[in-house]
Amino acid sequence: MTKYLVGKVGDIPPGGKKIVDAGSRSVGVYNVQGRYYALRNLCPHQGAALCTGVTTAFVTSSGPGDFAYECEGEIVRCPWHQWEFDVKTGQMVVDPATRTIAYEVSVEKYDVSVDDEEYIYVHIR
Amino acid sequence: MESVAATQETPRRGRKRLSIIDCDIHMPTARDEVLSYLPRHYREQIDTFGMRLPTQGAMYLNGAKGGIMQDQSFPQDGKASSLLAYFQTEHLDKYNIEHAILTGLGDYAIQTTPDADYAAALCTAYNNYGIDHYLANDPRIKSSVMIPKQDPLLAAKEIDRVGSHPQIVQVISSNGAEKPYGHRFYYPIYEACVRHNLPFAVHVSMEGIGINNPPTGAGHVNHYIEYRMARTQIMMAHLASMIFEGVFDRFPTLQFVMIEAGMLWIAPYIWRMDQDWKALRSQTPWVKEPPSEYVRKHVKFTSQPIELPPDESLFLPLMKSMFAETNLLFASDYPHWDFDNPFKSFPKMDDGMWDRIFYRNAAELYGLPARRSETEGASA
Ligand code: FES
Repeated sequence: MTKYLVGKVGDIPPGGKKIVDAGSRSVGVYNVQGRYYALRNLCPHQGAALCTGVTTAFVTSSGPGDFAYECEGEIVRCPWHQWEFDVKTGQMVVDPATRTIAYEVSVEKYDVSVDDEEYIYVHIR
Repeated sequence: MESVAATQETPRRGRKRLSIIDCDIHMPTARDEVLSYLPRHYREQIDTFGMRLPTQGAMYLNGAKGGIMQDQSFPQDGKASSLLAYFQTEHLDKYNIEHAILTGLGDYAIQTTPDADYAAALCTAYNNYGIDHYLANDPRIKSSVMIPKQDPLLAAKEIDRVGSHPQIVQVISSNGAEKPYGHRFYYPIYEACVRHNLPFAVHVSMEGIGINNPPTGAGHVNHYIEYRMARTQIMMAHLASMIFEGVFDRFPTLQFVMIEAGMLWIAPYIWRMDQDWKALRSQTPWVKEPPSEYVRKHVKFTSQPIELPPDESLFLPLMKSMFAETNLLFASDYPHWDFDNPFKSFPKMDDGMWDRIFYRNAAELYGLPARRSETEGASA
């Protein structure tokens, strides 16, 4: 397991995201209501940079003309064919067997930090 | 511990890839530069009153960002040269495309207006713009003649005007139509195609828009997904019309290309046509061979959007049944949102089949040379 520094907590406010390089991989780090999640920035469908797509909600309905929203900020839609993935798990919503990798994220004080800043790390195995 | 905070994915160098031919590309155009090719009358009308065209975009929600992949941002400075430069890096170089077939320039909405003279003037403007700004500046780019299909005589005139340009490789019309394409009304178009040895291509779009018939026999559909499904039915109707009205008997060298209607559905459709022909042959006795033979000899299909069967073992038998090895052409539909990545869209297949679909079938159809080099490659 290698841990990569993503940035300071203040860099990714709730609802925000940051795409970073972690070793040879591109990773999207999301802040969903104060909790951090990281996804491999690669769509399992045809290889688009998944995390460059919009972050949004899951739309549900009781019938034509009715639109409701669940899981605000927890869905990423691929910039190419618009497949929807769960930010928390990397799984495609309608077909969970189709997935991109979700990585562990931690918030820590920098090893030798003198200040009180908290830093975000993504852990890649 | 490493730490990085870049915003771009690092480009990866994959294994070498052979060059390909991409048979369905929609280049945007620089509006003012196109309009400068129009006669004064129309130019002033457009400046004062607008384009005067019904559009599919206003009726159906074509996905993503105005129909384009969200990560594509063509330059907005209004210059054809900037659009071309972007296209060269973001598509041609990136996927090692040796020949890029533009499926017409401008909006197929041109073919939905009742004013055929205006449609003809717009087609001329787009064709000239394409020749001067794209074809002249990159030999990889080939294009299709935009025609005012509302008036087949004017369409034939336009084909005669630009059809012998060496980088013009086919004639294009939208799927949405006033009559199925086998109708004799369209013969002047086919005569011109044959004169210039150009395939006649039908590209999905504009079904039920403007002067075109409703997108299904059951009437207008509501959501974009229904509209996409309807396009297949419409293409089926055109294909049967071409075969049973006897177009290929009358024009034995004519090639018909079906673009962006999907592909695997064609297999059972061919079986059905053959079966029904056995029973009903005497009603259309000019149709001399089983419909599948006309398809095999005269019809080409582009791949995108591919239907992938959930059971992968069904893929190759269906490919075989639609004559994929000789009749299927790879298409990406760049820059549209339902783009197919040349390296990722197809299941594995043997090299011979891959080579036919990604290069040779198109080279033969469009009269293009063999690969520059079999070893030159790009990365995924
Ligand atoms: S590449 Fe992501 S949905 Fe197709």
